[in-house]
Amino acid sequence: MRAVDSCKRKLRIGTFDYFGAGVSPEDIFGVLFTDDNSFSCEPLHVSTDFMVFGPQNHCLYPIILVNNTMDIIEDDEQLGETSEQDSELSDGELQDAFAKGLLKPGLNFTTQEPKKIVNNVEGLKQCLADFRKNTLPWIERLDMVNLPADDIVAKSEGRLDNKASEDINPDDDFQREMFFYRQAQEAVLEAMPRLLKLKIATKRPEDYFAEMAKSDQQMQKIRKKLITKQIMMEKSEKAKKLREQRKYGKKVQVEVIQKRQREKKAMMSSVKRYQKGMTDKLDFLEGDQKTAKGGAPAKGGAPAKGGAGKGSGGQTPDKKAMNKKGPNAKRKYKDQRFGFGGKKSGTKWNTKDSHNDVSGFRAKVAHGKGGKGGKGGKAGPGGRGPAKGGAKRLGKNARKKMKGRS
Amino acid sequence: MSALKRKRGGKGPGGKAKKVKLVENGNKPQTTEMEQNKEITVPPPVSMGKWRNKERVLVFSSRGINFRTRHLMQDLRTMMPHTKADTKMDRKDKLFVINEVCEIKNCNKCLFFEAKKKQDLYMWVANVPHGPSAKFLVQNVHTLAELKMTGNCLKGSRPLLSFDPQFDTEPHYALLKELFIQTFSTPQYHPRSQPFVDHVFTFTITDNRIWFRNYQIIEEDASMVEIGPRFVLNLIKIFQGSFGGPTLFENPHFESPNTHRRVIRMATASRLREKQMVKELQKLKRTENKEAVTRDVTDDVFATPAEERPVHIELEAPAAKVVKKNKHKAFKRQRKQNR
Repeated sequence: MRAVDSCKRKLRIGTFDYFGAGVSPEDIFGVLFTDDNSFSCEPLHVSTDFMVFGPQNHCLYPIILVNNTMDIIEDDEQLGETSEQDSELSDGELQDAFAKGLLKPGLNFTTQEPKKIVNNVEGLKQCLADFRKNTLPWIERLDMVNLPADDIVAKSEGRLDNKASEDINPDDDFQREMFFYRQAQEAVLEAMPRLLKLKIATKRPEDYFAEMAKSDQQMQKIRKKLITKQIMMEKSEKAKKLREQRKYGKKVQVEVIQKRQREKKAMMSSVKRYQKGMTDKLDFLEGDQKTAKGGAPAKGGAPAKGGAGKGSGGQTPDKKAMNKKGPNAKRKYKDQRFGFGGKKSGTKWNTKDSHNDVSGFRAKVAHGKGGKGGKGGKAGPGGRGPAKGGAKRLGKNARKKMKGRS
Repeated sequence: MSALKRKRGGKGPGGKAKKVKLVENGNKPQTTEMEQNKEITVPPPVSMGKWRNKERVLVFSSRGINFRTRHLMQDLRTMMPHTKADTKMDRKDKLFVINEVCEIKNCNKCLFFEAKKKQDLYMWVANVPHGPSAKFLVQNVHTLAELKMTGNCLKGSRPLLSFDPQFDTEPHYALLKELFIQTFSTPQYHPRSQPFVDHVFTFTITDNRIWFRNYQIIEEDASMVEIGPRFVLNLIKIFQGSFGGPTLFENPHFESPNTHRRVIRMATASRLREKQMVKELQKLKRTENKEAVTRDVTDDVFATPAEERPVHIELEAPAAKVVKKNKHKAFKRQRKQNR
């Protein structure tokens, strides 16, 4: 709501609760009903002896009862709209309007007419006609009107939207500048043949020295800047690559170390087992050497503890496979649970139950593996190393001997 | 460019090219060896063609411009050899004084830069004696000296002007186009011009503004580099006379910089006011008289009705629980035996 006043009004209307909706007292122009039921629409400076009532407290349109005897005080005028508005809103006119039913009781605000924007098309055309220099040939003006050239990039991607200048988004810097660039390109492409026809050169000859718009100093600065930019980019690229390499190298290193540790652990555990007499085969050594040297059966470095030859040199493949399962389940379970070094002394009891426990008995193992079938097929005993795992558990004396030797 | 002291209405700086070897219309320079030794003193050329199109543009400004505007003016003078400079105009003078200044300097076009509040730059393009004039708000000014613009062109070479097709659609744009053509294009055979066409001015209409760019033509196949300067013109009004007269056209999309700033300020102010109002409301609510609630509504939420049980008093001790200590081991042995 916009009230146009010509004066400041000081309306004291009870409390200011009436204006809870944000209308300040100065904004009220007021259609006033006077005692004799006529009304006037005037700026007021009212004294306190008047009554005001409204239907409820928060009514925006109080109806104001006013004494007839009022002094009108006009304060400073606001710019522009005063005199016209005042003349429009003289009493007589308002009364007429009310009588016709154009005005309704309540607060009426006068608003401004929407501003008329000048667009004198005829005048523009006339002016243009007067102003234009029709005698000038094109060569003097060198003007072109053109749409931008085709966007090669967009074409190659399959997007063939020929945008006009209205369509481009002015906030997208790159798109906008490319649009301008392409417009200039199109202009040049069109103008070249015309210029050639009129024998105007666009390229200056090599030996033509003349002052340029930007001084040589400026161009040097520009060149330096470009070079530094390039160098910085290259540096950052190198640094990135280096970082990547280092990361990768670290990963690889960690993996290699872990692998080595695993291998060492396996080796140590198999050596220990051999020492404790749990196996009588030196498979682990040969396994290593087989993979490392590719089959040369050098047992030289390995401690040649007794029973090495005995093992599975001449076993049939069948038995080898079975022995590959490793020690019996009980052994495995114990190893798994207690390891080799951490056995507590009280874990093996020779109680009635453990004596009677025959779950660890394997008939084939007990009656000697490879003895029956393997001896028949001795071929290259040195070459074929003993099968992995599945070694027979030596007797007590043999084990003692081995233990002592370690 | 040296800042020569020029009197208003007096002659401009010496017209003949001192540092420039001018060759008209494709004539190769005769003394190339001398040229290679010294670029400094060159005799003025014999023009092969007569300079008929007498366009002269007066480029000057009011007081209170900042360095960017000054550089922009200098750049325009570099780019357009048919320009003349003048001293700064006092703020007190009315605009129609400019017409007299131009007459004294024998110029028929004018580019007048006006700076207001040390913030806003307005540009007048006018055809001086009778013709139309236009006022623009200039934004986004970048000068020749910016290092991102890497192109270069001959000083005083003639430009190719390229316009958006939108310039032909509306009558006011058509008038502006004619004005720009006559102002910005270098006349042929101008004594300070170079005969080559090696750069392009582009005028594009986007977002209800006119964008100006200047590109150097490197190759015949239209590969280009931007030279600069660049600016954006926001049309305000077109007048029928020069620096006055009836308004022919008013741009409905134009928002004056003051209004723009005001809008921003009001937006922030209204946001603050809203916050304050919310705070006050909260205060009010807190200080309101609150009624004491006598009964707690949530009292019987957990009241689960259940039937009453008779109270049972135990007189005997409860039965001892069987403690199975090694129940697992027994179980295990059992398991093994049963295998």
